[in-house]
Amino acid sequence: MPRFLVCVLTSVLVGCAAVSKVDTGETLVKNRLAIQVATPWNKFERGQTDNTTTWTVEGITVDALQFYVGIKDGELIAPTPSDRKGIEPLAFKAAMQPADVVALFQNLLTRDGSSFTLDKLEATEFVGTRGFRFEYSLLRKVDDVRLRGVAYGAVRNGELFVINYSAPRLAFFPKHAGEVEALARSARVKG
Amino acid sequence: MKRRQWLGGACAQCAALCAGSVFAQEHAPSSWIAPERFAKPDPASDEGGLWAMMDREERRLRRSPFVIHDVVLHDYLQGIACKLAGTHCADVRVYAVRTPFFNASMAPNGMLQVWSGLLLRVENEAQLAAVLGHEIGHYMRRHTLDSLRDSKSRSAFATFLAAFGVVGLVGQMATLASAFGFTRDQEREADSIGLTLMRDAGYDPREASKIWDNLRVESAAAPGGDPLKSSPMFATHPPSEERSRTLARLAEDATGGFLGEIEYADKVAGLRFALLEDEIKRGQYGETLVLFDRMVQRAPERSDLLYFRGEAHRLRAKDGDLDAAMVDLRRATELGNEPAQVHRSLGYIHQKFAQSPEASAEFTRYIELAPNAADADLIRTYISEGKT
Repeated sequence: MPRFLVCVLTSVLVGCAAVSKVDTGETLVKNRLAIQVATPWNKFERGQTDNTTTWTVEGITVDALQFYVGIKDGELIAPTPSDRKGIEPLAFKAAMQPADVVALFQNLLTRDGSSFTLDKLEATEFVGTRGFRFEYSLLRKVDDVRLRGVAYGAVRNGELFVINYSAPRLAFFPKHAGEVEALARSARVKG
Repeated sequence: MKRRQWLGGACAQCAALCAGSVFAQEHAPSSWIAPERFAKPDPASDEGGLWAMMDREERRLRRSPFVIHDVVLHDYLQGIACKLAGTHCADVRVYAVRTPFFNASMAPNGMLQVWSGLLLRVENEAQLAAVLGHEIGHYMRRHTLDSLRDSKSRSAFATFLAAFGVVGLVGQMATLASAFGFTRDQEREADSIGLTLMRDAGYDPREASKIWDNLRVESAAAPGGDPLKSSPMFATHPPSEERSRTLARLAEDATGGFLGEIEYADKVAGLRFALLEDEIKRGQYGETLVLFDRMVQRAPERSDLLYFRGEAHRLRAKDGDLDAAMVDLRRATELGNEPAQVHRSLGYIHQKFAQSPEASAEFTRYIELAPNAADADLIRTYISEGKT
């Protein structure tokens, strides 16, 4: 059997095996980020585009809530599953301003040729400290689907915390955006 | 892995510009004569099946939001393709696609895609013609069909057809190239034909090798490893110095020809800012700065180019980058007609250096020029904090 088919089947099976349920109530993400969950989610240990913990309601190819927790100065925000040589590593620096962090996520989301547009960037409180919130549109290269996204971020004691949600813009994003906003506002760092 | 990624393989001309490391066909095939127009193949044949898939993919591409719907640019690209393709003109359909990588591809049914990263990088019409001529060379020699009939490719093709069915295939060029990459001989032949077509259409064939020289320098600025792996164009067949050397040798008897620098600049002028934005969003600042250096060198009085080079330095933020950014951004303001974002970038740099009054002044100017910018709320927060 050709190697690529083996890889595909392996990926599918590994992905299936990694899913678990997130119950309502307080949940601790990566042992650091406490959040209040109002409705159940499905959890994958990694997402489609990177190795970050990813939650979904509709399915991982449809909507994705991703958590970047406690990333230290110099660490990669998300090593991608198939990091290629010759690609700039997406490393967080503690001195980054909010716009720099947005640029970092923009780099991550456009690596496959997808098209990113920033729709809004504003200051807000997140994880109990001064942070930022941004909204964006993403035209996904692989299937031409138009996504909307919202993310909250903050640098707290030199560590980066970001929650990012994206889903197809017409039905799924509006359906879950309110819940994601509440979830982000509930986020607290432990330890 | 997406089905489209796999099926993309059938459109293997994506790898068309991926030169083999051995590239030496010593002379253009002066005896080479373009074939007659191709009739649509029997649907029951393997070639007919391939065409049917490509026709289906082309219907999808026409609806794709990535297609650049700019009539002037489209007519211009189509016109160049027609000059090169001769009697095949009616069978070649060009689509400009907004994707910031250097790439072009041609399907066996005549669907020719040109990605916007290529449009940003070529410097004149002759260089663009060199790329399109190469693609048309693959088309005229029906290289995709040869690849399909090659036992290895046929096996890969059948496997993913069985696994994923017949669906669209434009998306991922690197993956498809690995399934249906051309042989080095095919690349060599397409280059040679491309150069002949270019020469016959009146272009200066000496421009062809310059594309690869520029790309090689750009790719060398990528971090570590094999920099050429960063481009879908080079997924399977890294270009080599030998390729540009051979192209230069093939064109060495040329004494001139049409360059079309002004014509080309005019046709892409309306898109240029968006293409530069897309380039910087890639976050591949090393490669991008090589590209922007080259662009600024060619047009040192363009404040928009100075902004983008300064912004790339600011975002990379390595040793000396902020100083370099400051020089470009200040020069852009001196030249005038600078993009509003120049003042935002200057504000961020002053903010980083804890120069609050200067930062506030630049942020204020930015908001004056772009009050409805996506990041206006955050910038207004900075301005108001600067006043307290």
